Amino acid sequence: MDALRLPVLSVITWSPFVGALLIMFTARHRPRAVRLIAAVTTGVSLLLSLGIYVAYDREGAGFQFYEKVALVPPLGISYELGVDGISLLLVLLTAIIIFAGVFASWTVKVRSQEFYALLLALVTGVFGVFVSLDLFVLFLFYELAVLPMYLLIGIWGSSGEIRPRGIFAWAYRETGVGTKEYAAMKLTLYLLFGSAFILVGIFALWVHAGAGSFSYLDMETAVFAPGVQRWVFLAFYVGFGVLAGIWPLHTWSPDGHASAPTAVSMLHAGVLMKLGAYGIVRVGMGLLPEGAAELVWLVGTIACVNIVYGALSAMAQTDLKYVIAYSSVSHMGLVLLAAATLTEAGLNGSVFQMFAHGIMTGLFFALVGLVYEKAHSREIGRMGGFGRVMPGVATAFTVGGLSSLGLPATSGFVAELLTFMGAWRSEHRWWLFPAVVGTFLTAVYVLRVTKQIFWGPESPHFRHLEDARGPEWVALVLLVFVLVLFGMAPGLALGPVDTATVPLLARIVGP
Amino acid sequence: MLPAPLAAGVLELALGAVLLLVFVLNLFARGEDRRWLAGTALGGVLVVGALSLVVTPAPAGPGGMFVQDGLAIFAKRLFLGATVIGLLAGLGARPASGRRAGEYHLLLLTSLLGMLVLASARDLILLFVAFEVMSIPLYVLAGFLKRDATAVEASLKFFLVGSVSSAVLAYGLSFVYGAARSTDLAKVAQAFSTAEPLLLLGLLAALAGFAFKIAAFPFHMWVPDTYEAASTPFVAWLSVTPKAAGFVVLFRVYFEGMGERADAWMPIAAGLATVTIVAGNLMALPQQNTKRLLAYSGVAHIGYMLVGFAAASAAGTAMILFYLVAYVFSNMGAFLVVEAVARAEGSEATAALRGLAQRSPLLALAMLLFLLSLGGIPFVAGFWAKLYVFWAAAAAGLYWLVLVGAVLTVVALFYYLLVAKRMYIEAPERPGRIQLSAPLALALVLCALGVVALGVYPKPVVMAALRVATPLF
Repeated sequence: MDALRLPVLSVITWSPFVGALLIMFTARHRPRAVRLIAAVTTGVSLLLSLGIYVAYDREGAGFQFYEKVALVPPLGISYELGVDGISLLLVLLTAIIIFAGVFASWTVKVRSQEFYALLLALVTGVFGVFVSLDLFVLFLFYELAVLPMYLLIGIWGSSGEIRPRGIFAWAYRETGVGTKEYAAMKLTLYLLFGSAFILVGIFALWVHAGAGSFSYLDMETAVFAPGVQRWVFLAFYVGFGVLAGIWPLHTWSPDGHASAPTAVSMLHAGVLMKLGAYGIVRVGMGLLPEGAAELVWLVGTIACVNIVYGALSAMAQTDLKYVIAYSSVSHMGLVLLAAATLTEAGLNGSVFQMFAHGIMTGLFFALVGLVYEKAHSREIGRMGGFGRVMPGVATAFTVGGLSSLGLPATSGFVAELLTFMGAWRSEHRWWLFPAVVGTFLTAVYVLRVTKQIFWGPESPHFRHLEDARGPEWVALVLLVFVLVLFGMAPGLALGPVDTATVPLLARIVGP
Repeated sequence: MLPAPLAAGVLELALGAVLLLVFVLNLFARGEDRRWLAGTALGGVLVVGALSLVVTPAPAGPGGMFVQDGLAIFAKRLFLGATVIGLLAGLGARPASGRRAGEYHLLLLTSLLGMLVLASARDLILLFVAFEVMSIPLYVLAGFLKRDATAVEASLKFFLVGSVSSAVLAYGLSFVYGAARSTDLAKVAQAFSTAEPLLLLGLLAALAGFAFKIAAFPFHMWVPDTYEAASTPFVAWLSVTPKAAGFVVLFRVYFEGMGERADAWMPIAAGLATVTIVAGNLMALPQQNTKRLLAYSGVAHIGYMLVGFAAASAAGTAMILFYLVAYVFSNMGAFLVVEAVARAEGSEATAALRGLAQRSPLLALAMLLFLLSLGGIPFVAGFWAKLYVFWAAAAAGLYWLVLVGAVLTVVALFYYLLVAKRMYIEAPERPGRIQLSAPLALALVLCALGVVALGVYPKPVVMAALRVATPLF
């Protein structure tokens, strides 16, 4: 790596931010330049993410590409970056999704300059969370990743078409439930509510570690009393869990994802929810092993509720975006369930599921965005027979759907298999049951939607629709390719992930 | 060189001279437009402000009553800086530059003089006198728009509640004197222990008096009405400086020289902080008038500062000082945007901000910055302010208080974001830029610069605050 002495992680993280600044200051009223800058800066991140993915030294393991600059020495805050096997994969995921997202939202016309600037600033926050090793800086990036969301959804989002009835009609009048403004506010407040818990947890660790430092590496060596471990783990679980969509704090996610513009849905469902799971695994389990070991029963049980409840809710939806959004809730349950098994297969499955589901749901939201933009509808019942008029979109959707229900040769299969193995080997074997039921239910709603929209009888209203065009293909092909590639060759991802999960597990359950 | 007793009070003397100058010039003033008088007052405060940058700690004045230590100088710079922004914003507009410009500035400068003395007072009697010098002009100023019935009501309310709290304060201080047998705060601190019921009672009664001035719940009733009725540049100033002065007094009376025994205030301060944060944030939710919204959110901010007070430590004190600096820029800035919009639209409702981002993008961006800073969002001043007081409280073991505070910031963000939604998401009611007068624009730029600079690089101010707070313990 000596040839690459430039601070790679910083470049990956801040490149989109630089893009945002460039867009704000140089590309006023030049939509083409805006898109070009966005594509180039996120492309730089993508290339470098691939670069470090290849260059990561699997023998050495641990945190690599380390950078450190002291920021506020008296409090022990420093800008400290590094990636291990887990964050490596998630950085790659983020880079892929945002690169695809830029292309998928190529057609945003209203105030596109601000849209892209906010989107890119948001991405910097996401990258930052995955690479920072200083808990305080991690928190800063977390906030940066949440706040632009409000404007992105509030301005460029879309509201649901069906007005609620009965008691929901009253709720609608009072709060505007279902509109994009409502969704934006709900999402922002939920996530900031979570961040309050994270903040308390971080401060508690700082005080009890007694090292006067916010560095993850310093805290890793500290020993926390069992009582502290318990409540701080709980704080992190609730705080990051809100973002990961744990039941019953998940309700922001369907509303938010359904109302958000395409690229934001992709990024949010694909990456940001993983950020919550990553927080629980990295900070919660990594720093508070005893607390984690004591409370995994809670994490796993709630995850089971997530899986089944999310899948059942997805079955009941008539709005295409809500189906995908609830399926995210269900799949995030799988991620956390796999992590809670505290087995090697389970943890690997958890990280792999984060990646696989990220790509898959990114693909789904990109496709739904395309369909919505062309058909101007999200109602499943009104659509039909799109397979004939947009064969490309239909194919991609089907591949995504098959991965979602865990068909072999797609990434989803690998992730679910590992999860099941982990659940079987864990102390709570019954967890296997809800996991399998969830997969079954997933098959039901995914096949139903696919059949109705793409392969059902052709509707005369939609005969004029066109397939994906130019830049949009970039997003679809990239995502489908990754989905299948990692399904065929899971070792590509599991190699580095394993180097990180094994030591993590050793800390929790002993070698 | 001034003789020693005067050297400590050089800022007060200078401000007194400005006061006299304004008074004399006012005798010769004729006509409707008296902005030159306002300009003179502003120039005078600027000179005193510049002077405050070069003064150094001096030995205590007569009998240790008057100290010019680091804390006093820090606080005085803060008061003077906030006053400069406040006067600048009022320049060229009614009532600050109209026919009654002389009275307006005399009252305001008198109150400022009270604050300067208050920051240095280490004697119960001097403290009380300074407190009243600061407060009484404020009652008059609150009712300055005397043809407006709401202003008269607000002023009366302010005055009545204020007088009662002054009475409680004096009553409490008399107990303190009785128990400590001295008006010297250093002696009071020595005599203080939780085993002295009379002294404890006196200090608690005094706390109620101070809580009125900083507008902590349940002593906040005067705030919304007063803010709504008084002229906005004055309110912007009123919302920050007297509160900063109140906190300095709290440090002097309850912390200085107490050392470890200051922990005795922890439970009551934490309780006061909790109710203030909860009440302020919840009451701000339904407000439709931006000034009332900021008034209630201001109450909540006092609660956050009290979180630092509850830590009863040097770190907590320093973090409140930093919070105050951040608060000056963000809160004054927000009020001044309201003033700018109200001058153009004639309305202070949040609805007047509709579509501001499309009409005046820069003004909207400035307001967004101020709101984010008040909400505690990273990379603007308010974030560090909140974070630092939370950190101080966590270091003192008050995790539950941090959690309450942090969760309630979510409520605060809700109403700040509603304002942001009006500006950014809703469509404007009518097109056209909002015209700003040059002084108001300059004041806004100063506030925005402060918010961003403190947000990006808070270190120097934090360090300065830590330096002046550490000797108190």
